[in-house]
Amino acid sequence: MNCGEGIDTRQIDELYINLDPIQAGGRLTTDAMKAVLAYGDGYSVCDHCNKPFRLDYISKPPLAEFHKDLAAFVNMDTARLVPGARRGFQAVADALVKPDDPVLLTAYSHYTEFISVEQARGTPFEIPADESHIITKDAAADRIEEVIRTTGKKPALMFVEQVDYQYGNLHPVADIIKVAHQYDIPVLCNGAYTVGIMEVDGKALGADFLVGSGHKSMAAPAPSGVLATTNEWAETVFRTTRVKGDLTGRTFGIKEVEMMGCTLMGVTSVGMMASFPHVKKRVKEFDSQVKYVNQIVDALLSIEGTTVQSEYLRKHTLTRMNTTESFDKIAKTHKKRGFFLTSALKERGITGILAGSTRVWKFNSYGVTEEQAKYVADAFVDIAKAEGLSCSS
Amino acid sequence: MSKRAVDAVFQGLYLLTDIRGILRDTVPSHTLSDKQKQEAEKIIGKLEKQISVLKEELLA
Repeated sequence: MNCGEGIDTRQIDELYINLDPIQAGGRLTTDAMKAVLAYGDGYSVCDHCNKPFRLDYISKPPLAEFHKDLAAFVNMDTARLVPGARRGFQAVADALVKPDDPVLLTAYSHYTEFISVEQARGTPFEIPADESHIITKDAAADRIEEVIRTTGKKPALMFVEQVDYQYGNLHPVADIIKVAHQYDIPVLCNGAYTVGIMEVDGKALGADFLVGSGHKSMAAPAPSGVLATTNEWAETVFRTTRVKGDLTGRTFGIKEVEMMGCTLMGVTSVGMMASFPHVKKRVKEFDSQVKYVNQIVDALLSIEGTTVQSEYLRKHTLTRMNTTESFDKIAKTHKKRGFFLTSALKERGITGILAGSTRVWKFNSYGVTEEQAKYVADAFVDIAKAEGLSCSS
Repeated sequence: MSKRAVDAVFQGLYLLTDIRGILRDTVPSHTLSDKQKQEAEKIIGKLEKQISVLKEELLA
């Protein structure tokens, strides 16, 4: 069935339990799907855009209120919608980093954090992780000292991930930020895997900037996200235009330079807004999701030779497994080779794990029900037993 | 202009979206609980009403 010429209708989430590491938290709510139907046209939120002609001033649909609600939701002073977390990184790096400035990131920073530094012509320095795959405050302090010693400059900015994309580990962001602030280094907390998934309090973390991803963790269409900051930094990162056309003399009102004026002018912002009441509710139910992911991980660990590379017990639903000594041994002689596992899962109505993966792979169980969590846990054990792997009870 | 027909289209799409939501909630078996069956029945009933409105507005 096509939804346009050559465009197949996507039915993944209607047919399968989807464990895709990056898709789970961005799955739309029914209200967001309805908003997509009504606001799919290009500049659909601009019907009632009046002076001063900026997205965060539009009251119908209630985007002005939504911006305030978003800031309150993450306990920051002000917030803007951005086209994905990456555009939040870009805005902050562009506002704070000058050419050749050192910038701290971590061993688990997303590539778009690096590229935002590159675009600002800064120089990236990584804070290493410890053997448990955690970024510690001590490692941050050591690296700050080293960077100052070797470059003669204080880092212009630090990026730190609250939960990283590689292991799904929860890092001690508040402690790290405290260290950075002792050196007067502003910190951007990357909440792409947390804002909209679990409760996040930007002020409690001490973040100068807090970035979330709408399409990764706020049940919103892509590209969408949020950049929140404090009153101290708002004027810097949300500076308004001062440019003037030399021939026409045109000026551009109060458009914000780093935002490139308005950001999400249609289905993305309304989709995000439609999901927001559900998102506010679901972050309070995160403990259940943690319980479910631990049930799935425990089932996987019952399969002989399987280990979990993420921190355990799990504190987040994004999880990295190592089945080199279990499923990968089967793959070596199986007629479907490495594809046997994802194929067997698909036969059971489960998808989202990288096809062909039997060594190190990630899954994200965010959003499953209790029944679905049990179903997934049982499915992994069933597959293992069917292939002759021994499982402890 | 038939505002009534336009409303019926959107209402119908929203009702279908509610069914889509139930399908998503019950993957992979799509086995509905008694409560979900009642909900689905109610939605389908409302959907039939919207289709009747469309027939009246567009085909009569």
